[in-house]
Amino acid sequence: MPLSRSLTLPLLTLALVGLLAMVLSVGVGSVALSPVQVGAALLGEGSNLHQTLVLELRLPRTLAAFATGGLLAVAGALMQVLLRNPLADPYVLGLSGGAAVGALLAMLAGLGGVIVSGSAFAGALLATLMVFGLAHGTGSWTPSRLLLTGVVVAAGWGAVITLILAISPTQRLPGMLYWLMGDVSYARTPWPALILLVLACLLVLPLGRSLNVLARGPMQAAALGVSVRPLEWLIYVLASLLTAAAVTTAGSIGFVGLVVPHMLRLMLGNDQRLILPACALAGGTLLVLADTLARVVIAPEQLPVGVITALLGVPTFLYLLYRSR
Amino acid sequence: MNPLQVRQLVIDIPGRASGQALDFTVEPGQIWGVLGPNGAGKTTLLHTLAGLRAPRSGDILLGAESLAGLKRRTVSRQLGLVFQDRQDGFPATVMETALIGRHPWLSPWQMEGGEDLAMAEKALAVMDVSHLADRLVNTLSGGERQRVAIATVLTQNPGTWLLDEPTNHLDLHHQVAVMNLLKQQASEGRAVFMCLHDLNLAARWCDHLLLLYPSGDACWGPAGRMLVPSALESLYGQRLITTELDGAPVFVPVRS
Amino acid sequence: MPGSGECDITMLRRLQTLAATLVVGLVTAPLVHAGVCATDATGREVCLDQPATRIAALSPGATELVWAAGAGEQVVAVVSFSDYPPGATEVTSVGSHTRLDLEKLLSLEPDLVIGWVTGNPPEQLETLWELGLPVFSIEPRNFEAVSTTIEQLATLAGTEEAGFAEAERFRQGIAELTSEYRDAEPVSVFYQVWDEPLMTVNDDHLIGKMVTLCGGVNVFGDLDRLVPRISAEAVIAADPEAILAGGMGEENRQWLTRWESFPGLTASKRGNLFFIPPSLVQRPTPRMLEGSRLFCDKLDIARTRSEDR
Repeated sequence: MPLSRSLTLPLLTLALVGLLAMVLSVGVGSVALSPVQVGAALLGEGSNLHQTLVLELRLPRTLAAFATGGLLAVAGALMQVLLRNPLADPYVLGLSGGAAVGALLAMLAGLGGVIVSGSAFAGALLATLMVFGLAHGTGSWTPSRLLLTGVVVAAGWGAVITLILAISPTQRLPGMLYWLMGDVSYARTPWPALILLVLACLLVLPLGRSLNVLARGPMQAAALGVSVRPLEWLIYVLASLLTAAAVTTAGSIGFVGLVVPHMLRLMLGNDQRLILPACALAGGTLLVLADTLARVVIAPEQLPVGVITALLGVPTFLYLLYRSR
Repeated sequence: MNPLQVRQLVIDIPGRASGQALDFTVEPGQIWGVLGPNGAGKTTLLHTLAGLRAPRSGDILLGAESLAGLKRRTVSRQLGLVFQDRQDGFPATVMETALIGRHPWLSPWQMEGGEDLAMAEKALAVMDVSHLADRLVNTLSGGERQRVAIATVLTQNPGTWLLDEPTNHLDLHHQVAVMNLLKQQASEGRAVFMCLHDLNLAARWCDHLLLLYPSGDACWGPAGRMLVPSALESLYGQRLITTELDGAPVFVPVRS
Repeated sequence: MPGSGECDITMLRRLQTLAATLVVGLVTAPLVHAGVCATDATGREVCLDQPATRIAALSPGATELVWAAGAGEQVVAVVSFSDYPPGATEVTSVGSHTRLDLEKLLSLEPDLVIGWVTGNPPEQLETLWELGLPVFSIEPRNFEAVSTTIEQLATLAGTEEAGFAEAERFRQGIAELTSEYRDAEPVSVFYQVWDEPLMTVNDDHLIGKMVTLCGGVNVFGDLDRLVPRISAEAVIAADPEAILAGGMGEENRQWLTRWESFPGLTASKRGNLFFIPPSLVQRPTPRMLEGSRLFCDKLDIARTRSEDR
């Protein structure tokens, strides 16, 4: 089975790199701990302080970063297949804008916790429906039309966000701004995002070959036995859900959904059965590393991780774009 | 295999009168050619027969069942379609492209196995593109891409072939190779239904013809009865000189 | 390095607490708090078994208030821009108030954390709670709250004597100004918080209350938002008699120069463009008393100029 072997090696490599990144992230912080101390804390030994630092602060944050990065990269890869455009991602299409508006409205109403998350998901879904509905319009549905609609709707969300910020009472502003900034340090628990990431991977794996066919265009896909419209809806709803989960875990973080799938496609080809799990691993790894940098680069001052992803992502992306053809 | 039956079919071209409803059956072993000027609706007809577009009225049956009621997966095991134009948003190799022909035959969790690979390799060999197997499709010439597209349907191995201008971009040798391949497919009990620009290729290889007029009118039947110079002249709006060579009629446009 | 005398006091207090706990525990029912308690601005009751000895102040304002409460020596962690009193700059920083380095904070092993309701990320404060650290969140919105916050901090830090005295000094100072200016002639005032974009405060803001205290009438006092964004046109239309402005730095009148180019403006015509050092007014701390006195002096100047005319 040469194909399954060609899937296993890259995924194992990426998993190993991801694991190393997590070890690094748990081992590094503004308090210097030796690898022995970190190991002891992980085993539930050593001083109380060390255990708290490693088990209560570093580990959950590392897992949250991994889950968020993975969710964003998978969501981005799905949107790119859907639109057959490597420049599509949840941010470009206004999904995260819709999620942000949903969350900010909930915060404006003085609500918190789960309601903000639910409201963000509702916002992402609404953005989905709007973009799909408007792009469909009276004529035919084309990727470029969808992308253009997404870009315009995203700009609209941007304006709504500014409006909400402008009319919000001053005491609510800081909370909202943190939220828009994108920062893993606000993540309370990694588990919902992590579980969703695993479920999403299990769900899309059997769809992988259908997505490969869909990537060649809806007509070709239909001719090869794919029920195109239901599959497209499934992808879009799933991408919305993943985006909303990522955004509610750590705020708006850009470029992961764009850069990670693109880099992986350049290196590994375009088999979604490989690319999607690889995106989960590589996206998670990237955000873990970026967040480690954000924590230590000018400690004790902490940077928002979105700044790091943008500073790493933009030049990488431009370089890849410049080099390819 | 199940014959493709067309019953009182009117294809849906916005802004055009319904014209003549189509009513024929593509039997195993037959090679059908669709002739008509630009804009007559040849591609629309082909997509409608493949179930990718809804007809304005009428029905298409695959065996006893209506095409619209069948699952896409079931349809795609019986009908293969070679598109005229292909979009490639993402790079893919020639081998990967041929392999997707196996999609209808594999379950969601199944990976392509050695047998599937062997079928794809054989299809690439038949289409004379084996040496390009690892190349990216978007780096190929038009003719090479056309041959890869046909190799994909060969891998798909449907009972009925639908082809939109299969000889586009092909040099003379490969045009003949493709027509011979289709003839061989028909002789093995499959059916072939294709749109063609080249009147002479149609005259040489097709046993049934469908003439499609821009007005929506149409006529069809065995090739011998359809290749009437006056009918063809009115179809294309072009005067023709007719002769016979190697046992088949040859049509040459009049220099005006 | 705390002096040895203070160490002894702390030790003594600990022993007292321990003894009290033992006696109470032996004699009466369990679950009686022998320590100190205070209710913070979020309504949460924070109880300590014994007064805090290692305090983390998570905003520049909190740092000033802890110092005002007499517990400056107990502060082990501050955040960026904690520049007052001078001793605060010597204390270890744990990041900015918007983004705390929790790891650094925990490693300093504080036994009391002073949070800022609208300044610190609620998620991070919540995390500290879950890690078992008592978080006392503050948000003084009026003069009396400044005093009571100081008293609460003093209670939690076991420095009641110094803290309650300072709280009372502030309370008295404000009360004196209140009675002095109760019947003062009203002066219409525009207070400029920021230049680009142009921002002011309403009457609910502490700075707005300082204006009112001195007999000023904030021309934008009725606006809904605490810190409204306004246009220069609105300022010209309101035509205040005096314009007070802070600035980017301590001795920077730059923001006032834009108003000099509108000679039709009453405040400009009379030369009532006053610079107020922002450090005296921007934090809800006892320094506001000094700031308030400055405000009142400037408005007094404005009153004389209106009589001159």
